[in-house]
Amino acid sequence: MIQIVRNFFIALRQIAVGDKKYYAWVGFLSFLIILGASAYIGQLNRGLIITAMRDQVSWGFYISNFTFLVGVAAAAVLLVIPAYLYNFKPIKEIVLFGELLAISAISMCILFIMVDMGQPLRVWHILPVIGAMNFPASLLAWDVVVLNGYLAINSVIAFYVLYRLSIGKEYKMSVIGPLIILSIPWAVSIHTVTAFLYNGLPARPFWNASILAPRFLASAFCSGPAIMLILFQIIRKLSEVEIENKAIFKIAELIAYAMGINLFLLGAEVFKEFYSGSIHSDPIKYLYFGLHGHNNLVPWTWFASILNITAFFLFLFPKTRENFTTLNMACAFVITGVYIEKGMGLVIPGFIPDTLGEIYEYTPTMQEILITIGIWATGALLYTFLLKLAVPVYTGKLRFFSKAQMVTAGDIMSRRIITVSPDTSADEIAKLLVSRHLSKAAVIDQNNTFVGTVSEADIISLEVGQGADRKIADIMSAPAAPVKEDVKIQELGKILADRKVSSLFVVNKDNQPIGAVSGNDVLRALENIRQE
Amino acid sequence: MLKGAALGFAGLALPLDRANASFWEAFFQKHFREMNDAEIKKVISRLEKEYAEKYKKAITIGNEKPLPGVLYGYGLDLSRCIGCRRCVYGCVEENNQSLDPQIHWITVLRFKKGEKWVDLENAEKYYNPETVPQEDYFYMPVQCQQCENPPCVRACPTQATWKDPDGIVVIDYNWCIGCRYCMAACPYGARRFNWAAPTRPSEKINPNTHYLGNRPRYKGVVEKCTFCIQRTRHDPGRYPACVEACPVGARKFGNLLDPDSEMRYLIKHKRVFRLKEDLNTNPKFYYFFAYGN
Repeated sequence: MIQIVRNFFIALRQIAVGDKKYYAWVGFLSFLIILGASAYIGQLNRGLIITAMRDQVSWGFYISNFTFLVGVAAAAVLLVIPAYLYNFKPIKEIVLFGELLAISAISMCILFIMVDMGQPLRVWHILPVIGAMNFPASLLAWDVVVLNGYLAINSVIAFYVLYRLSIGKEYKMSVIGPLIILSIPWAVSIHTVTAFLYNGLPARPFWNASILAPRFLASAFCSGPAIMLILFQIIRKLSEVEIENKAIFKIAELIAYAMGINLFLLGAEVFKEFYSGSIHSDPIKYLYFGLHGHNNLVPWTWFASILNITAFFLFLFPKTRENFTTLNMACAFVITGVYIEKGMGLVIPGFIPDTLGEIYEYTPTMQEILITIGIWATGALLYTFLLKLAVPVYTGKLRFFSKAQMVTAGDIMSRRIITVSPDTSADEIAKLLVSRHLSKAAVIDQNNTFVGTVSEADIISLEVGQGADRKIADIMSAPAAPVKEDVKIQELGKILADRKVSSLFVVNKDNQPIGAVSGNDVLRALENIRQE
Repeated sequence: MLKGAALGFAGLALPLDRANASFWEAFFQKHFREMNDAEIKKVISRLEKEYAEKYKKAITIGNEKPLPGVLYGYGLDLSRCIGCRRCVYGCVEENNQSLDPQIHWITVLRFKKGEKWVDLENAEKYYNPETVPQEDYFYMPVQCQQCENPPCVRACPTQATWKDPDGIVVIDYNWCIGCRYCMAACPYGARRFNWAAPTRPSEKINPNTHYLGNRPRYKGVVEKCTFCIQRTRHDPGRYPACVEACPVGARKFGNLLDPDSEMRYLIKHKRVFRLKEDLNTNPKFYYFFAYGN
């Protein structure tokens, strides 16, 4: 146990180490957080009067952001379903980063609720047992339960997976399988409950529509994955983490379907409101056309509609969703469109006109905006730190060993390898090596057993010499003996030194390649062991 | 190191001048309905001391329990109301509302005669003529309707607001976390939030208060009409301040469980209606017409 805690602190040190760009980014976020925090201190001293909220519009920008972010957090499930249940390999490898995003998003949600509270020190009143949680009557109490539960589930899954990886082991499905299964309905529940929070109030006809929960889910499954697509591109650019295009395009395709459903549901709602034309359609009139000359939200609403529709077509056509320029445009459109539509576009019209018919137009104050930016920066910083921990564990750079003498090749190897069959063309292998920044591939037969190695050098000599369509079988340096996974680290070091090679493939007891180990891996492991 | 961080955090969150025993007592104060009489007494004497320090005068905080066999009901005669807003100011004086920012528990709405019936979408809240009543308008005061099925109570995540057996929906200002979900849930716009620290000069403080009623409130909590709980929960009680303030006798108040009460008489004999009946909130606030026009 002490070991685990100590390893955790060693891992935490990762956060403090980075290049100039990293420090600049952390510094920038910290600056925004300080701005937000100082605005919040002002709010603590003077009260929520520094916001533009009043009795007529009693929720505003904070709750709008909260609602949007619950959707982002829920959307992590979109990746969990295919990854774990259907074993869609390309997505499986990146689910971890989606779950870390969910953790960050929920943390931001909790912060937005905290800054919206008039008496934040009394927050414990909402807890069961020590407080007086109004469960099951209050939907807000439900929200507290499901959001914190979701945070706990995702934290356990993510940190368990990271822990297993950090000690060089695969995670056990028997341990987290049930949690993963649970996380799927739970993710649906956090957004459903948040929709019910609005939906269950007959006092507010604009929210009191049963289509709200399905609409929330559909729009969440657009904006959440769109944020992930952008983050994944950044992650794979800045680290050694490999995220296949195939995975990115698959997620983009899923967004297209979700957006299609979202637009359909929205259309159904707009039809009902305008065609029936009762006085209860005043809020939606206010939203789309303005009411009695009040039209603060109108340009935003149309802007969001145009963005969402454009994005839908960009995601729908394989040509545009598989082109990174148009894909990223579509992602930006969807994030902005949904942010407007279910943030301010959902919360504010619930209060306009108010229950006694008054129209009070709401525009957030500078302090509200600063506090909001501060919370987004906090979320971004949290995500940055989580990645800083997770990436080296994921790529195998950060490993912990319980007893130095027991460390084996299997513990320290990288699982990033390319395997090819003997009839692959040299050209194809060259492409693979280049795209994945590796210097050699393992050649395997039908039984996945190791038959040889083909290196950059092999291919280069081939390209310089004869035709590139020659088969691997002709050029591979068979047998270039791999090492077994249970070879001890000291012995491994000796083998590398004796053979004067920089890296070797690692095979399991059936002689199937499962990873590769380099001199660098050995050195890093020895260094880690010395530290302990 | 952890201890240091905790102390640092506490210092950050709590201004030093408040970091005393009274602050922690207030912080750990239990839910009103979970306290026994002795605990409530202790809380009340602490609060009285705090108020005395703040307002430099003695303020008593009552804790009168609901009277058995009583269910309060309110009647408002729309044919009499002249829209003078004396009820609004009578209420402010009695119930110690903040003057800046200004808080009113009663909203008087003005409607145009000869158009739609109680058409809230076109109601005017900020009417300001030389004299009232105006020829072409009628008026409708709205305040907490003391619903038998109150959506605000269901919404509150901390049970800081509840309906007592005499039908009054009350708030514990020391338990409310200020999330304002009740305000979103109320169909009558009856709840008010203290967006800033309430201000009221000490000479204008009504010192006769009730814990769940008109005692001075705090920044960041919700408040609303309690049918003047500090007046009405006595036997014999007094009428709510708004009933007393009304110059035309448009406001009626009584016990709905007493078959001989004025309220029962008018519900039986007048054409009464309640606001937003379709929401099934079942208000105990009846609007009626004593005579035509």
